[in-house]
Amino acid sequence: MKFEGEHLLPGQLGHFFAILAFVASLVATISYYNAVKVKEPLVRDSWKKLARWSFVIQSAAVITVFSCLFYILSNHYFEYKYAWRNTSRDLPTQYLFSSLWSDQEGSFLLWSIWNSILGIILIRTSKNLEAPVMTVFSLAQLIMASMLLGIFVLGYKVGSNPFMLLRHAPENQAAPIFQEANYMQHIHDGNGLNVTLQNYWMVIHPPVLFLGFASMIIPFAFAFAGLWTRDYTGWVKPVLPWTLFAVALLGTGIMMGAAWAYESLNFGGYWAWDPVENASLVPWLTMVAGLHTLLAYKHTGHALKSTVFFFFISYVLILYSSFLTKSGVLGDTSVHSFTDMGMTAQLLFSMLVFTVPSIFLLIARRKEIPGNNKEESTYSREFWLFVGSLILLIAAIQITFTTSIPVWNKLLSLTGLKGLFKMDDIAPPSDVMFHYNKIQIWIAIVLGVLTAVVQFLKYKDTPKGFFTRKIWVPTALAIVFTALIAWKGPITYDNYGAGFLTAIYIMLFASIYAIAGNFTYIFSGLKGKLKNAGASVAHIGFGMVLLGALISSSKMEVISIDRMKMLNDGFFRKESKQNPRENIMLPKDVQVQMGDYHVTYVGDSTATGDPKTYYVMHYERKDKTTGEVKERFTLYPDAFVNRKENALSSNPASKHYFTRDIFTYVSAAPNKAEAATADTTAYVAHEIKVGDSIFFSKGFMVLKALEPAPKNKNYIAEKNDLAVGAKLEVHTQTDDHFNLQPIYFIRDSSYQYSVEDTLAPLNLSVRFTKIMPAENKIELKVKEAAGFSDYVVMKALVFPYINVLWLGVIITIVGTGMSIVQRTRRTEKNANASTKKTPVNI
Amino acid sequence: MKKTNIILLVVIAVAIGVIVTMVGDFSTYETFATAREKEGKEFHVIGKLDTLQAMHYDPIKDANLFSFYVHDKTGETRKVVFYGAKPTDFEKAESVVLTGKMNGNEFHCSKILMKCPSKYKDDQVVVSNKQL
Repeated sequence: MKFEGEHLLPGQLGHFFAILAFVASLVATISYYNAVKVKEPLVRDSWKKLARWSFVIQSAAVITVFSCLFYILSNHYFEYKYAWRNTSRDLPTQYLFSSLWSDQEGSFLLWSIWNSILGIILIRTSKNLEAPVMTVFSLAQLIMASMLLGIFVLGYKVGSNPFMLLRHAPENQAAPIFQEANYMQHIHDGNGLNVTLQNYWMVIHPPVLFLGFASMIIPFAFAFAGLWTRDYTGWVKPVLPWTLFAVALLGTGIMMGAAWAYESLNFGGYWAWDPVENASLVPWLTMVAGLHTLLAYKHTGHALKSTVFFFFISYVLILYSSFLTKSGVLGDTSVHSFTDMGMTAQLLFSMLVFTVPSIFLLIARRKEIPGNNKEESTYSREFWLFVGSLILLIAAIQITFTTSIPVWNKLLSLTGLKGLFKMDDIAPPSDVMFHYNKIQIWIAIVLGVLTAVVQFLKYKDTPKGFFTRKIWVPTALAIVFTALIAWKGPITYDNYGAGFLTAIYIMLFASIYAIAGNFTYIFSGLKGKLKNAGASVAHIGFGMVLLGALISSSKMEVISIDRMKMLNDGFFRKESKQNPRENIMLPKDVQVQMGDYHVTYVGDSTATGDPKTYYVMHYERKDKTTGEVKERFTLYPDAFVNRKENALSSNPASKHYFTRDIFTYVSAAPNKAEAATADTTAYVAHEIKVGDSIFFSKGFMVLKALEPAPKNKNYIAEKNDLAVGAKLEVHTQTDDHFNLQPIYFIRDSSYQYSVEDTLAPLNLSVRFTKIMPAENKIELKVKEAAGFSDYVVMKALVFPYINVLWLGVIITIVGTGMSIVQRTRRTEKNANASTKKTPVNI
Repeated sequence: MKKTNIILLVVIAVAIGVIVTMVGDFSTYETFATAREKEGKEFHVIGKLDTLQAMHYDPIKDANLFSFYVHDKTGETRKVVFYGAKPTDFEKAESVVLTGKMNGNEFHCSKILMKCPSKYKDDQVVVSNKQL
């Protein structure tokens, strides 16, 4: 059958180039491998030439695949499953990128593009290391390309083709709609992009994160090249700037993810120890450890083996994190992970391809790796760099151990141990945050102190008196500042007892110490030479990240506490700890006090072309004694509202101050469409005389008089009308007065009419339905609508000093950047000056 | 013995110590019945929403009270009380992982993790709509 209205060309092109990328990277891998192995120079050069060309071809192919996919998404070709699943016509253009990398295929593609770009840079810069380094790169690209193949080999599906047509998807093949040639006429719009991904951070966070992932392979490849070619030291110099680059980019990527979580997710924070976050943090920790042992090696000849180990393990952990997030194994424990696409075996295989040879080489050649047999002095910098790296390793082990709980479950049942010992599945700790925090806080303390102190030690040995002479200034500074904070703005976080609070204070000192130590080092150690201060600047930033994280989370305060309900029940009950009542209902136009603020919900608004609903919240800060308004601002937390299900997917809004953020989001809002039609309240009849009252829920009304010539905007008097108006005075609880005048009239002496009068603010309707002259009474029918009242349920938090955290991140990145520049310059200078000059380490 | 080796031994000891204390934190997946036996302790319960019984969230009365019914793996149905706002898209959740404890006949939970239907399923739903 020939299908109508399909655009098959971009998909066919895309799939062709995906296969070309696979073949070209296969050729590149084999050729680079031969270029390493073959001794004959001429043959080696021709292998190298072939390898380079194939790598360039695979790079071009990968970029073409990316362009084809983007073309399909931007033209809304919904015959492709990828476009149908992740986009819709009303999706703003910038989010087409988010939808491109929202699925696994797109994220592999992004990773693969970065690998290609980095690979091409290394072809040009890595000189005699090119062949072995690029063998690793090409192999990585081969595996990446295999993820996008989507072909069956021996009954096993290899990769997943992003250009699959909707009608070819296995779940759709039997559907009758795809038996029609003109099925495209029935598919008008796509499924749309998950609303939490429609955020500008999701446009830039994945590219930076994946550049970080991709750059982690460089230290791995250099170390592997060194072991493989038995050139154990030649790779150390060129790898240093790349290691800094990887640390900076992966760190930026992770913190951008944190910023996204802070700005668009509702869990009220930037870090939740979610397995997906942890999985990318762990390789960063081990790479930072590797960076520091590398420095120790460069200056003293110690710790080369540990450097190689850290570089290997970091990339393996990157692959492990990709396995965790993409295999679906985290399903029960993480909010962010992908669902299983049947690629678990392939992901596991890709991990082993890099793990087994590298660890094997490290073990087999451990004796050949040069080391320094002299024992490190306790007063040497390298000794403490090494200790610090091991502390980072402990942090990595702890995080990995808990994050891998689903993997332990799988392993235990696969090996039969579970059946043997009759074990249950292990579940993550019920209080995950505290589980991590209580261990990581000690690690942060040790790291903070080491960061402060170690710079004041010299490599090899520190002269007596030097250390004590330099260290007392920052120590005194840190003690003073810690005491100042304890005095002026004490932390009173006692949810986990006095022990944890003590730890918080020690960490407060440690993080301030890190800042003070590195700050003073710039002057006392480097004599104020900022050019060389990259490391110190980065360490100041790191100390600020620790400080900002500590203060913002331990002093974070929920101000939207529902105190009314607390008094009713629960506040003093056992549950109260888990029952913080953090959401509060705000009726429209009613001012509610939250912390220092008085908050009013004044309505919601939508705009054409913007799918979001904005909730308008007025904040006022009043002087406590005079009641005078000190400050006014408006926040617009927004939400995607699915009218059909009244499902709300809300984004917070924050008021940023230098010292704190007021963070607000809407957790629920009424379904207005439904409420409007659901008004089924009945009228209630009352028979009354003049002077009688009728009570209703919000007050009462008095029949003042019957008026012979009534006036009402809904009633136009005609000549033969006989009309009577009931003059009503309405009193409410708040002493407001309103007047109502329903009218009863007889037209043309035969038809009876009743003109209703309503009081909108009270949802009150009154009809004058009968006159009973005999009893001198009239009948009024009163309806009080259930009262659709507009409201929102919201949550508001104050994050104090969160800017210290963000500023710290930026300073760390700047500092690392300074180091990269400084190290690259130094390498170049050395290379230019003389190649004969013996490096310190040999 | 070299200092480095001593440090390594210390690190290994600390790592083991940390892991041992961590395992104590680990929770287990339970059913309502087994959670009731150990009333007052926190557990994870995996279950499916009971769509036949109404979920209840009335923010005008109490913005922090949401209740619904869940079948656990054994098929036992219990009322679940969550002290917080109703999570977004809760109706769509295919299965839920509840963290909390039994309290009488009710399960009081402090955390809900929803497993929303995979996109794979979504595809089917929409395609069947288009057939009409």
